Amino acid sequence: MPVTKVLTAGIGEVDLRDFTVYRDRGGYKQWERAVRELQPAQVLELADRSGLRGRGGAGFPTGKKWSFLPNDNKPRYLVCNCDEAEPGTFKDHMLLEQTPHLVLEGILLGAYGIASHHAFIYIRGEFKRGFEIFSKALDEARAAGLLGKNIFGTGYDLEVTVHRGAGAYICGEETGLLNSLEGKRGEPRLKPPFPAIAGLYGMPTVVNNVETLAYLVPILEKGAEWFAAVGTERSKGYKIISISGHVRKPGNYEVALGTTVRELIEIAGGLREGRTLKAVQPGGGSSACIFDEHLDWPYDYESMAKAGSMLGSGAFVVFDDTTDFVKCAFNLVRFFAHESCGQCTPCREGGHWLETVLHRFVEGRGLRSDLEMIRRVSSTITGLNLCALGDSIEPFLKSVINRFPEQFEARIDARSLQQNGSPAMAASAR
Amino acid sequence: MSSTPTQPDLVHLTIDGVAVEVPKGTLIVEAAKTVKQEIPVYCYHPKLGPAGLCRVCLVEVEGMPKLQIGCNTPVSDGMVVHTQNAKVDTGRSMILELLLVNHPLDCPICDKGGECDLQDYAMAYGRGSSDVADAKTSKPKGVDLGPTIVLDEERCVVCQRCVRFDDIIAQENQLVLKDRGARDIIATATGEPYRHNFTGNVTEICPVGALTSKTYRFKSRPWDLQRTQTSCTQCAVGCQQMVDVRSGTPLRTMSVESDDAISDGWLCDRGRYNIGFYASPERITQPLYRKDGEFHQIGWDDAFSLWAKAIKSSIAANGAASVGAIGGGRLTNEEAFFLQYLFRALGVENLDWRAGTQRQAGPGASGGTYAELERADAIVIAGESPAERAPVMDLRIRKAVARNGATLIRIAPAEGTPNVACIDVATVAQAIEAMPSGAKRVALVWDGVDLQLGAELAKAASGWAGLRTYVTGEQANARGAETMGMLPREGAMDTLAMFAAAREGRLDVLSLFGVNPVLHASDAAPTRAALERIPFLVVSDLFMTETAAMATLVLPAKGAFEKGGTTTNLTGDVLPVNQSLQAPESALSDFEMLIGLAQHFDEVALPTSEELDERVIGLCAKPPVADGFGAGRYASAAPSRPAPRPSDGLAVVVHSAVFAGGGTSAHDERIASLRPLPHASLGAQDAALYGLQSGDRIDLECDGVLLRDMVVAVRPGMRPGIVALTGGLPGRAANSLSAGARARVVNVRKAAAPVGV
Repeated sequence: MPVTKVLTAGIGEVDLRDFTVYRDRGGYKQWERAVRELQPAQVLELADRSGLRGRGGAGFPTGKKWSFLPNDNKPRYLVCNCDEAEPGTFKDHMLLEQTPHLVLEGILLGAYGIASHHAFIYIRGEFKRGFEIFSKALDEARAAGLLGKNIFGTGYDLEVTVHRGAGAYICGEETGLLNSLEGKRGEPRLKPPFPAIAGLYGMPTVVNNVETLAYLVPILEKGAEWFAAVGTERSKGYKIISISGHVRKPGNYEVALGTTVRELIEIAGGLREGRTLKAVQPGGGSSACIFDEHLDWPYDYESMAKAGSMLGSGAFVVFDDTTDFVKCAFNLVRFFAHESCGQCTPCREGGHWLETVLHRFVEGRGLRSDLEMIRRVSSTITGLNLCALGDSIEPFLKSVINRFPEQFEARIDARSLQQNGSPAMAASAR
Repeated sequence: MSSTPTQPDLVHLTIDGVAVEVPKGTLIVEAAKTVKQEIPVYCYHPKLGPAGLCRVCLVEVEGMPKLQIGCNTPVSDGMVVHTQNAKVDTGRSMILELLLVNHPLDCPICDKGGECDLQDYAMAYGRGSSDVADAKTSKPKGVDLGPTIVLDEERCVVCQRCVRFDDIIAQENQLVLKDRGARDIIATATGEPYRHNFTGNVTEICPVGALTSKTYRFKSRPWDLQRTQTSCTQCAVGCQQMVDVRSGTPLRTMSVESDDAISDGWLCDRGRYNIGFYASPERITQPLYRKDGEFHQIGWDDAFSLWAKAIKSSIAANGAASVGAIGGGRLTNEEAFFLQYLFRALGVENLDWRAGTQRQAGPGASGGTYAELERADAIVIAGESPAERAPVMDLRIRKAVARNGATLIRIAPAEGTPNVACIDVATVAQAIEAMPSGAKRVALVWDGVDLQLGAELAKAASGWAGLRTYVTGEQANARGAETMGMLPREGAMDTLAMFAAAREGRLDVLSLFGVNPVLHASDAAPTRAALERIPFLVVSDLFMTETAAMATLVLPAKGAFEKGGTTTNLTGDVLPVNQSLQAPESALSDFEMLIGLAQHFDEVALPTSEELDERVIGLCAKPPVADGFGAGRYASAAPSRPAPRPSDGLAVVVHSAVFAGGGTSAHDERIASLRPLPHASLGAQDAALYGLQSGDRIDLECDGVLLRDMVVAVRPGMRPGIVALTGGLPGRAANSLSAGARARVVNVRKAAAPVGV
């Protein structure tokens, strides 16, 4: 299955950051049509019928998410999540930098779809360039009357506010993002209530990923059926996959969902000469690895779940036979422990503990009893956390310990193998 | 579930096999209490609500794949909950294991040992063994968080109860969680010391030994403490509190969680920490008699007979009108009753409880409860701030405004309630204008000082819907003293009249009980002049106060922890005062002193203790005094806040501050740090005129007295021409200012930037 160009169309060929270029290619036509000719409910209906699912990681059906907003006459907000920080994901800031007007048009359509008059985009602090590019695009669109008061003379008002984060992974979690956007400490909120009921400033709020919103533009242009025609039964349409790791041409590739894992590796230039595949982490740092036996599986939400992993944000990391999975596991657990907001016990203490123990493994100072402890603790904390961050620690770790136990056993301190008694005694014997 | 709900707002569920019926919306953690099943919690607190942080309250709900947190899961019809099973145990023991990974286990030197939820739950739900093979992280220990609190970050379980208390209850927002992950710590947002009127509460809600009181550190184990519940008598709110005594020394006081009606489960720092004075070496331990200008220690028998002789000869020579007694606001109801009973039996009618600026204690016919104050949709504050006069009551006002959306209107020069939105107005007329038109439940809070203002307020309030009135006042049992009859009847002299008579040489014997008019009266110089002229001045007190130092006879009194009885708070609740301490040997309660005095008057028939109780109960049960603000019996009293003299400079108004450290708290240096900085509050207009901003330090010259180093606070609503000074600070010249003093700004030291003060 070939690489397609939907959101990525024109990128690398023309300068889509140029307002005129974007408009000449039909840009903002869908926005104008929506505001002039469609009711918000019709936009929602299109999104729903297209089968579009959240491209940020959770894969929740977009139309359904919008439909959760209560009809309570409160102000409602659309928030575009551009905090893209999942290890292995690099598609959103590519869109932001390369085709900012498409991102904006998607935000406008999303806001209209939920009949909101104020949309926000939360841009990760590190994306300074993207922030500048998008801010300029926003100014141009505003100057052209595409947003603001009485848009196209229809009486519809919509404002868009840009907010820069300060570089915390947890602010990609939607309620952590909302807290940060409100100027509070960036930590997830206790749910319920969910953002659809009480989100930004306590008002009904939808948080959508950049890529999700951007797909609204082609869906409006070509129709829900066009989008739903590709993909698999429950994973419709296209997706930008960030392919990285041990491939010859890492990068962002837009494909139809359902492209096989093998095809994705080939699209990215295949493995290096003479190397063999050990594992693929198919859905970002939070996902478990899949292996050889999954090579011909379709890359879609259901199949990845069935394989014990997830599609996540479409961050596809390839590992060949040179990989040190102990280091990889340590690296990821260290990331999660570092990014834990520290609110809830399992994530804060569990992540830190596992990081400490894995660090010993990296240094060849593992204990025999540690492996059992790693399994027990990482699996028990999963499901006990306030948000998904703590639940992200186990999947990769567990999948590589189970698949490559020899790599971990090789890092056990030989002296601890003779130790009896408590692990503390064994550790103090070092 | 086969049963249909009998009421629509009730939900039926099963907890551990027991059918339970609870109101809709109840959280599982609360519902479980109905079947006597305790679900462990750290972050959850009934007054703070769920936070979902500690994850120890795990329960299994049938049909849900993951364990649920009991603190944020509301019950639903037909729900089947298990609080005890293998799955739940695994989850809970995991949480405890994790909390102990970096916990220092320094229980042997931890103040919380023996009453620690981490100890208790680790015993109840923990594994009892550990897989930890690595060194624990080290974090700051013994952190001096502020004047009252020490933080041990290693013991912290990051439940954020303290942070949420500061946010939700105190509305101070000083404490925050800093940094993140396993490195996170509790700290003040600004790095400034943690300091407000309610800090001590965080040591109580802290489930572990992370936050401890400086006054209690390393002092005791809970099982060595003898606990007595009593009513705090340091202001008129009437908070219930536990007094914990070890070997005759009060080591700490704790709030009473179930005290919803009054304290809402919180204490202010004055009520909590001002207990050191009981053991102060400065206490008077022996009756003192002035002879040839010097005090001499005498025995009680001599004291009583000298006192009685003075009264008898004065009545014989100049009639009962030459004798008077003042007090009751710091006594129990029983003492106040017996005080007026005995003196009236002797024919003495010059009786008053009023010794300071407060002229009225009864709230009139529309007196409200604290719950009603919390539910008010508009609150008007006039006179001194309830934040100073009745701190824990002020928490209700903060709640009403910040959480329930009430409108707060503050009539200058009232000092504000911190951190809540407020409309500042200068006059009662403007307050009427600022009143939201739809207000259905208006609360009026007044300090009972300026009767003219009171009358104005009463007139304004007649147009306000659902009115509830409150008088915050100065003395804990002012309302009780009034109810017990410590007000002059028609024709008798009140305090100001007695002082006037004294200055004219018409008062021979004056007995003062637990009052210090020299410090607290609005006008120091004439008060002093009056007391100087009294031939036989008797003062009962714990300490050699400014007034006691002028006495002929000084009687060592017992403090509130050292005696029993009842007290009446500002909302009219009659509350128990229970003895938790033994007094120094020679001190007597005011009641015992009065009995001793009565022994010298054969003609007085003393009531039995049963009769006395009956009379007191009877008076307490009477409907509240119906006299409105500044009306009825109060109307004739002389104005106590004289109008400023029209001349140059600013008219001085001196505010007494609960935390200023007057009275008993002057005798405990450990709580000296709670005292506020001496503030000079000005309206925006005057601030602009003098080029001042909040935070500047100024010196004021007031009628020849130099007041040094006052911190400027700009209060937008204050009337022009007035400066309000913090009074009551020990050793401060502001205490001795005469009424109507004028102040000139003589020196200004600018703050680097305006600060909120």
